[in-house]
Amino acid sequence: MTQLRFAGLVPEEELLVSGHLACPGCAAPLAMRMVLKGLGQKTIVVMPASCWSIIAGPWPQSSLKVPLYHTAFETGAATASGVRAALDMRGDTETTVIVWAGDGGTFDIGIQALSGAAERNEDIIYVCYDNEAYMNTGIQRSSATPWGAWTTTTPESHPEATPKKDMLAIMAAHRLPYLATATIAYPLDLIEKVHKAHAIHGTRFLHILSPCPPGWKYSDEETIELSRMAVESRVFPLVEVERGDRWRVTLDPSPVTPVEPYLRKQGRFRHLTEQHAAYIQREVDARWEMIQQRVRGGGAAAEWEPAAGIDEPARR
Amino acid sequence: MMGNHAVSWGAGLARAEVISAYPITPQTQVVEELSEMCADGRLDARFIKVESEHSAMAACIGASAAGARAFTATSSQGLALMHEMLHWAANGRHPVVMADINRAMGPGWNIWTDQTDSLSQRDTGWVQLYCETNQEVLDTTVMAFQLAETLDLPVMLVLDAFYLSHTSEPVDIPDQEAVDAFLPRRKARYQLDVNDPHSFGALVRPDAYMEMRFQLQEAMGRAEAVWGEVEADWARRFGRRYGAVEGYRLDDAALVLVTSGTITSTARFVVDRLREGGEAVGLVKVKMFRPFPARSLRGLLGGAERVAVLDRNLSPGRGGIFAEELKAALYAGDGFPRPDVYGYVVGLGGRDVTPEVIEGIVKRTWQASGPEREDLWVGLNL
Amino acid sequence: MPETAGRVTPMAVSQTSTLVSRTGSWKYIRPVYQDRLAPCIEACPVGIDIEGYLNLLREGRVEAACDLLLRENPMPAVTGRVCHHPCETGCNRCQLDEGVAIHAIERALGDLILETTPAPVFPAAPASVGVVGSGPAGLACAYHVARLGYHVTIFEAASEPGGMLRLGIPEYRLPRRVLDRQIDWIIAQGVTIECNSRVGEDIPWWSFLSSFDAAFLSTGAHQSKALGAPGEKLGGVESGLAFLRRTNAGERPSVGQRVVVVGGGNTAMDCARTALRLGAEVTVLYRRTRAEMPAIGEEVDEAEREGVQFVFLAAPIRLVSANGRVNAIECQRMRLGDPDASGRRAPVPIPNDRFTQPADTVLSAIGETAELDILPPEIGRQGGSVLTDEYGGTSRAAVFAGGDLADQPRTVADALGAGKRAAIGIDQYLRMIMGRPLEGPPTAELRYGKTGNLSMTRWRRDDPVSRTAPVNDVVRYEELNPRHFTREPRRRDGRLGVLESRGGFGEVNLGLSRDQALEEAQRCFNCGVCNRCDVCLTFCPDVAIRHADGGYAVAMDYCKGCGVCAEECPRGALVMTREGL
Repeated sequence: MTQLRFAGLVPEEELLVSGHLACPGCAAPLAMRMVLKGLGQKTIVVMPASCWSIIAGPWPQSSLKVPLYHTAFETGAATASGVRAALDMRGDTETTVIVWAGDGGTFDIGIQALSGAAERNEDIIYVCYDNEAYMNTGIQRSSATPWGAWTTTTPESHPEATPKKDMLAIMAAHRLPYLATATIAYPLDLIEKVHKAHAIHGTRFLHILSPCPPGWKYSDEETIELSRMAVESRVFPLVEVERGDRWRVTLDPSPVTPVEPYLRKQGRFRHLTEQHAAYIQREVDARWEMIQQRVRGGGAAAEWEPAAGIDEPARR
Repeated sequence: MMGNHAVSWGAGLARAEVISAYPITPQTQVVEELSEMCADGRLDARFIKVESEHSAMAACIGASAAGARAFTATSSQGLALMHEMLHWAANGRHPVVMADINRAMGPGWNIWTDQTDSLSQRDTGWVQLYCETNQEVLDTTVMAFQLAETLDLPVMLVLDAFYLSHTSEPVDIPDQEAVDAFLPRRKARYQLDVNDPHSFGALVRPDAYMEMRFQLQEAMGRAEAVWGEVEADWARRFGRRYGAVEGYRLDDAALVLVTSGTITSTARFVVDRLREGGEAVGLVKVKMFRPFPARSLRGLLGGAERVAVLDRNLSPGRGGIFAEELKAALYAGDGFPRPDVYGYVVGLGGRDVTPEVIEGIVKRTWQASGPEREDLWVGLNL
Repeated sequence: MPETAGRVTPMAVSQTSTLVSRTGSWKYIRPVYQDRLAPCIEACPVGIDIEGYLNLLREGRVEAACDLLLRENPMPAVTGRVCHHPCETGCNRCQLDEGVAIHAIERALGDLILETTPAPVFPAAPASVGVVGSGPAGLACAYHVARLGYHVTIFEAASEPGGMLRLGIPEYRLPRRVLDRQIDWIIAQGVTIECNSRVGEDIPWWSFLSSFDAAFLSTGAHQSKALGAPGEKLGGVESGLAFLRRTNAGERPSVGQRVVVVGGGNTAMDCARTALRLGAEVTVLYRRTRAEMPAIGEEVDEAEREGVQFVFLAAPIRLVSANGRVNAIECQRMRLGDPDASGRRAPVPIPNDRFTQPADTVLSAIGETAELDILPPEIGRQGGSVLTDEYGGTSRAAVFAGGDLADQPRTVADALGAGKRAAIGIDQYLRMIMGRPLEGPPTAELRYGKTGNLSMTRWRRDDPVSRTAPVNDVVRYEELNPRHFTREPRRRDGRLGVLESRGGFGEVNLGLSRDQALEEAQRCFNCGVCNRCDVCLTFCPDVAIRHADGGYAVAMDYCKGCGVCAEECPRGALVMTREGL
């Protein structure tokens, strides 16, 4: 189709309502909106601390039409494990339990609980909406902050000096049944991935890039464009990984654009020189190549099968 | 059976639905036994083998929020790690039940009994119930769920490391059907429910936070009375009760020992022996530490001149915690009894509190003319 | 869940939704849906809602698309073949990949209309209009006048109607049967055409003018300009128009082996390609370069493809003869100097730089003039053209004029546009004299954009397309969001091979199939007009856009003015404004 039309392709039901407290142009409510469109009304959201804890609305309001449990920062995946166990014990096989966490609550303080739940293959969908810093507390760096970026704790004189933690690789190493990256500029891709995750069991991980106008320093209305540029420049590839070893790129950017225009659009990178940009380009290219290698080489690893004679552990 | 297994059996009889725990000495047998019960079908529950105690409490909270009966057990460092989530459970009004095996806090590593771990959590909004015997442990575990779910408050039952956890005592195990009649399936008042969606725990501004905490305090305020009702019901069915506090041989006691946990058993023995020798000594056992049973204690201590509190715990910079709380209770208003309170710090890190130690404390108390300091340390070898 | 009746709950459990929080107060700008104009519409001399009918085609509503097209254009089967399509040059899609093949789509629709659409008939009012000349201007005026409900008769001097369409355009570009069917279809709508009737000769002007309540003069420009070189009267030297008149009537004269055509316009190309088909080697002589040629680009390409040779920067000085017949042209080499009145760089002779071009036949196609002597003297004129106002009105009341005889570009599209403008002027006039004057929209509102033609649909106020707050501004490419379109090559017309083309007078360009035309219509951006793609609704972070009344409504109580919707709108149908806040 030569022109993009969402009419008739995006599920109509709205489970996010207006009046929430996101900054104008924030990608985070869009991410939630689209994920909930993919999951439907039988969803419980477990939400550790992040911008969304505020976006959700202050007591006694809620901006979601599904149940929402606000939980402590580190505990997203652990709390969700408990919710899931309770539903199982009460015979509810239809409700989906999801974690809705930011990058801080996923990459840093929440990684222990996430890794624990993932290792146990808890039957939850873990969604990380990633704005690449601790935005809720005022734009401090996280391990998701990309190399070279300004944040309040990595000022322009000493910008972020380590690369973004490769959460995709980390989660892939847990051999989850399904994990994927997505972003709001491609809602059909995102919703399809949500549908795919929804249809299976075990720990499913979705990593959604969520641009932030005040934190990345760009003009509100360019949020979608930035997500798009992130994908087209391969800074944020859209991939799917099944069982940890079957990798697939779901959107092959064509034509590929260089990273520099993407960087130049964001005030948090304004101090970068051409050399810095060239370094970032090399890193982006190298990671893309790594992903391509996994795409080519995937599936060759032995299928994980339960040892013969021992049933898959019951849900106890 | 050992105290740890009494916990397991209690949780099992109470039909805990979601158990989430992380191993730590000396709690391990609690969860091992529960794992076996789940694995072989004796207990229909989900056992989440989480990767830390903090996550254990988070999972219990999640399960409780979704309407299930949740249980965990821990000790010492593990309990301390849970601290943030203990507040969360109470402020969220989740009726989680937890067994804490009182163990000393490190460093240095110390696995033996000490109450500092549980008492450090006294401000988190959990009901705290201390146990003297393994029978009491089993009974308290089951009753704790009833109390918790009546008040929508989390309840912590506490037992001494090794002296109870690993010591076998005779325990009468009530009939499952009888327990079911006492404690039916949980029906939560507030629950995560896709058919009635709400958010829980959102931002609360100053204009409403106090009212929520006030309601928490009110619930705590009813806890002693509700515990009384719960125990009365238990006593009717199973013939045993313990009380939030218990007075032992208090008639005309001029000197009253105040104890908790297994020290109480030793203290009973000492009181009997001293009474035989003509000393007017009595004992008050504190079972319920939170809410602090101030009025009941004032009532029991009305006739005493000297009160010797045995604290197997320490709040550095202050002293023994039971002593401190007792003194505050005695000072809470006019017309309350004002005996001299001697706060003894004993048995930290599992140091044995023998009958001799307690007798020594009694003697020292008789001989003293007022406590020379607020924390009176016993048996130090400096 | 227990009732709380307004008091604080025991813990933070929600009691209401965030809909009570009117975040709309945050905004300092707000989005407004505004239907604006696509550049193709402004560029079209006929004044057709091109974007409108392409959108209808995209929706699969072919009949509605044809209807919209016919409201402005009487002969899409003809224009779809011979128009110079400035719409395509102005198409915003050119800046993404390639412009939409509007011309070919129009042809497909035009042919479809002739096959399937019965000619509508309109109830006639008691007023009549007389038209002189049945070229595109006259046909268009008569067509619109009939549709406005008046009796109309066209008087045509020649034996068959069509004017330049029949006389000047060869069959391999515009087949006779297509032209005939198109004109018949117009006639069937209530237009009478009297051929062999020369007004001013067979019928005196006074008789003509008194027979009708209003008149439209469109006698065209049929007099070829002279070469102005010695030897012009030699045998074998003919005006291009005269040559085409003969060949278009079916004659196949012998032109010798080498034909030279002088000129760079469509007439020159038509002459060249016709001469080719008569078996000659053809050379076109033009005094400027290819870039300055006024002929339609594809015509030049086709001529080249078929084997016509071009000699640029050359002008004839003298025609050389042998035995009373031309056999060569002496030519002056030229260079380009400064721009002249036409805006193009003027040819300047290079001294002493000459050459001789052999020729058996020389066809001159360097422009035409209008024969204004045949018109009544009271009709104002200036510089070789009849003077008209923006509705084709002349100096004489009730008499309107348009087409090649007026001061306007000499294209079929401009002629059709003039006919329509005059029809509007005539309608205004006739209503006034019938005592039913109509306060129509001001001219600026009738006009598409700033420089487009007037719209019959706007005049009649019966736009079938529902528009949101329409604004007469043209949308530029920078205001679109091309990210929502994937590159896709333009569909190419089928055509005959070179040998087959040259070998006869069959139609060379075969156009697009109906399916191809419908597919190609999908490539239209629909500049400036919301086509309900839901991009704005989907991307609103505040769920503040919803479907309403066939379009969208923005909930101003919640819209924070972030501007994502306007930024993402693929077609610039949404603008952010400070107004109304």
